[in-house]
Amino acid sequence: MSVLGDIWNVCWRELIRFRRQPARILMSIVQPIIWLALLGNMMQAITQMLPPGTKSYLDYMAPGIVVMTTIFGGVFGGLSIVWDRRLGFLNKMLAAPISRSAIPIGKTIASSLISSLQATLILCAAIVMGVNIATGPLGIVAVILIAMILCLMLSGISLALGAVIKTHETLMVVMNFLTMPLMFTSNALFPKELMPSWLQTIAEWNPITHTITPIRTITSRGWEWALILPDVAKIAALTLAVMGIAILLFRRSIS
Amino acid sequence: MPIIEVDNLTKHFGKIVAVDHVSFSIEEGEIFGFLGPNGAGKTTTILMLITLLKPTSGRATVCGFDVTKQQAKVRSCIGYVSQDTAVDENLTGRENLLLQGRFYHLPKEVLEKRIEEVLEMVDLTDRANTLVSTYSGGMRKRLDIAEGLIHRPKVLFVDEPTLGLDIQTRHKIWEYIQRLREEAHMTIFLTTHYMDEADKLCDRIGIIDYGQIKVLGKPNDLKSQIGGDIITLKFTDETNSYADQAVEEIKRLSSIENIVPTKDSFSVVAKDGETTVPKIFEVASNVGATIESISLKRPTLDDVFMAHTGRELREEMGSKEDLMRERIRMRRVRM
Repeated sequence: MSVLGDIWNVCWRELIRFRRQPARILMSIVQPIIWLALLGNMMQAITQMLPPGTKSYLDYMAPGIVVMTTIFGGVFGGLSIVWDRRLGFLNKMLAAPISRSAIPIGKTIASSLISSLQATLILCAAIVMGVNIATGPLGIVAVILIAMILCLMLSGISLALGAVIKTHETLMVVMNFLTMPLMFTSNALFPKELMPSWLQTIAEWNPITHTITPIRTITSRGWEWALILPDVAKIAALTLAVMGIAILLFRRSIS
Repeated sequence: MPIIEVDNLTKHFGKIVAVDHVSFSIEEGEIFGFLGPNGAGKTTTILMLITLLKPTSGRATVCGFDVTKQQAKVRSCIGYVSQDTAVDENLTGRENLLLQGRFYHLPKEVLEKRIEEVLEMVDLTDRANTLVSTYSGGMRKRLDIAEGLIHRPKVLFVDEPTLGLDIQTRHKIWEYIQRLREEAHMTIFLTTHYMDEADKLCDRIGIIDYGQIKVLGKPNDLKSQIGGDIITLKFTDETNSYADQAVEEIKRLSSIENIVPTKDSFSVVAKDGETTVPKIFEVASNVGATIESISLKRPTLDDVFMAHTGRELREEMGSKEDLMRERIRMRRVRM
């Protein structure tokens, strides 16, 4: 039981820290909303190329923007551990009788909770802009949950890297190098079917694609489980694997 | 039974030997200090004792538990205050303490009481609900020490307790540490590179240099081992040619223990310094040497350090302060 308590304590600290930085909250939401407003209208003309049933490009890209926010949120998970190491807070936690694994787990859960808040706000903004969610309020909950799984995966990756790379500058660069390609080789903003075949192959292997596809099904088509469950299972399995590796690398970095 | 026992503890980082066969023991209720320059191995020793670093060889027990085999038990009985002053700026003082208490799995009711208790102890009760980012350096250190006390550890490890703090704040921190020992009967292991701190605060000190303990003992005993007062004298340039002769004569004085040349002067150890100084003048003028300056002081731990390592402790100080300033800057840019 105390492991769960430790996880919660690590997580609680991150959540309070986040709440105390209103500028960070605001910026993390304003930016994606600007993307929605700009890109959503700019690309309106390609609506007819989109899969049948999609009413507008805005409808199409809203899930992509939600996931994009999640990606950026996840990247910060590992950064916080690098700072904690640098400022001595990590040693302070390690000197206490807390479960070693609670530190990476607590931090990833915190960043995924923070992402869920951001994703909710962006979805609300999208609805205000006229995006229609086919499955209603329950669909929103499902979208948020799927986004949270992805966030766990990405903050797991950044934590794993943070255990190996010990300066925040390097980690920032590496994570930035990862996020943009991940984003643009997926179907976040552009339909996979319209990509050249080599890019399609990459998109098919990209976990972001497997996050966006079920989300998009939920927002624009409805509860088509056959299109939702396999992808969700895939990213959940990958997330578990990533978390395992992150915990392992973290434990190795402190012993 | 000693509360800390260290036997030939050694730590290698690659080819560097950070801690080299260190052995000592600390009794319950003692304030024990490691005095030494940067990179002497003080922090490395602490990190091994608090289970955060694996020793390369040797063994150590804290509260009777082995630091490599019974890590969880060691962690529950110790408190650790690092030199980084690792308090979270985005939390209030109270929240920092709350978090720390939860890390030690204190029940809610106990924790609430303890928080008030330690806040009062370090005089932070009236600032408990403000953000730590508004605290001064001294307040942060006090909060940090309070965090180390929240679970009433048997042994408190304090790494460089007053690094980068001003004189008044340092005296306050010393008071708190002494009060801890008196009121809570805690054993305190601290490291410092300030000799006045080691002198004022510690019952016993170990002087550590290049990973080895050079000498161990009570500060007063170590100082009296020097053998007397320290007289530093300098001859005028014109009469420097008579200096060697003068030194030979001074050596013959009965109260002189030792005389060694330093950069441009001589360092004399003498019993009963006050009466020796006039005698030195007399002897010197007899051989034609004129003394330009002379000073007399009681031996300090700096002299003890010099006697055992051949170097001055003061020369080594600068960089550590710079490091601290760098850390404070880092904290400001942190998101």
